[in-house]
Amino acid sequence: MAILEIRDVTSGYGEVQILWGAGLTLEENKLTCLVGANGAGKTTLLRTVMGLLRPWSGSILFEGKDFSRVPAHTKAEMGLVLVPEGRQLFTDMTVVENLEMGATNRRSRPKFKDNLERVFEMFPRMKERANQKAGTLSGGEQQMLAVARGIMAEPRVLMIDELSLGLAPLLVLQLFDSLKQLKKTGITILLVEQNVQMALAVSDYGYVLSQGRSELEGPTRQLMDNQHVRTAYLGL
Amino acid sequence: MGNSGLITSLVDGVLIGVIYGLAAMGMTLIWGVMSVINLAHGSVIALGMFGIYLLFTSLGLNPYLALILVAILGLLLGVIIYSIAIHRVVNASHLSTLLATFSVNMIVIGLGTAIFSTSPRNVNYSLGNLTLGPVTLLNARLVAALAAVLVTSALYLFLYRTRLGKYVRAVANNRAAAELMGIPSAQILALSFGLGTMLAAIAGGLIATFFPFTILSGGVYELKSFVIVVLGGLGNPLGALAGGLILGMLESIIPIFLPNTWVPVLEFLLFVLILLVRPSGLFGVKK
Repeated sequence: MAILEIRDVTSGYGEVQILWGAGLTLEENKLTCLVGANGAGKTTLLRTVMGLLRPWSGSILFEGKDFSRVPAHTKAEMGLVLVPEGRQLFTDMTVVENLEMGATNRRSRPKFKDNLERVFEMFPRMKERANQKAGTLSGGEQQMLAVARGIMAEPRVLMIDELSLGLAPLLVLQLFDSLKQLKKTGITILLVEQNVQMALAVSDYGYVLSQGRSELEGPTRQLMDNQHVRTAYLGL
Repeated sequence: MGNSGLITSLVDGVLIGVIYGLAAMGMTLIWGVMSVINLAHGSVIALGMFGIYLLFTSLGLNPYLALILVAILGLLLGVIIYSIAIHRVVNASHLSTLLATFSVNMIVIGLGTAIFSTSPRNVNYSLGNLTLGPVTLLNARLVAALAAVLVTSALYLFLYRTRLGKYVRAVANNRAAAELMGIPSAQILALSFGLGTMLAAIAGGLIATFFPFTILSGGVYELKSFVIVVLGGLGNPLGALAGGLILGMLESIIPIFLPNTWVPVLEFLLFVLILLVRPSGLFGVKK
């Protein structure tokens, strides 16, 4: 069943239109990726879905109901959680405090302890660094913390913007592995990536965004065999 | 002046310094959370003084009990000032927020002058003296300093131990991320401004228990707050406390060697010097 459906959304900043009709459907418990070149509108789409930007037209459905005009914090309350590009951690606060801030919405607060354990199990490094300030962590650890903070929000849909950006390949593999684990716990994931090859390798279904429009979609195996994807995005 | 005079002056300086620190903490808290320099700070300090004065002279309330009321009113006043004057310009340039808080300052001072005139007042309530060996202290200052330490500790417990306090720190640290987490940042900003205002009002109230004052007195303490905040590093509450102590001690020791009129000269010389040598303050972190 589709948990999140984006239909023909247009949006942008001020006068500048970025999205010209983007759409995608997230099936429950699936890992879906959204790939595309730099400037294709991936982050803009996420910001629009999250409610940080207003859609100019089109509709966004959560469990079949239109919620394109719902403000961001209400969306978080409903279980739509964004791990933003550039991590956006609370650098002056400790790792645990960051995780605590992640569990702000009403659904997640009572589950704080359980989720903390779950997150520490998934990222033992976070447990070691629990009382360290987030700003003192390495880049990879900061990205872990950003994902962990997202998990603390008890998401039903977790949207991750540029998970791999600036990280060593080995670390990226580890993080992608934890996404697979996460999927097993019943979280629907939308992974937005510039690293097309890795994103397709880990996901179930993929969308290609190009110049603000949904260009291609399909099961990732199929996309990897697609000649256009191979030449334009995989350099094969 | 002998040794005992020096010690008395030093202790006095520490006691007053803690209260200066409290006032400066209000200013630094507001700066730390929303990057607004609150020019209405002094007028709120004066309102705190008059709050204690009015509750004591017209209702006969014990000044220290009145302080609790003044604190609550200060918090409310801050939230109201924020909602009316600051919220719409909080993301604008510093000039806009400076003008907005300056306007609030002018309104409060103007109204205050019309109502109370500028004749000096004092809270006629004595707790007597305390003599410890060679040192004789005004009990009012001792109690005021203790109250200031208590309020500071409470502020720290609030900011580091409570969820709401952590929200304040989160909004100060990264407002966009805080909003993304579902933290209601507009309310947290209002609360933070309220807390900063509350600290100013409490400091004013405490000062009123041992110094005479007029509706214009707040300005002097606002300037002191500036010096302290720069000493301690903008946005650093503990630095504000340390800066307050330094300033308090300077003020009590300088008059031993030089005429009293030299105090502000040396204070602001220090201010300029620190701005030149360590612009992020003695305890400030570079951003």
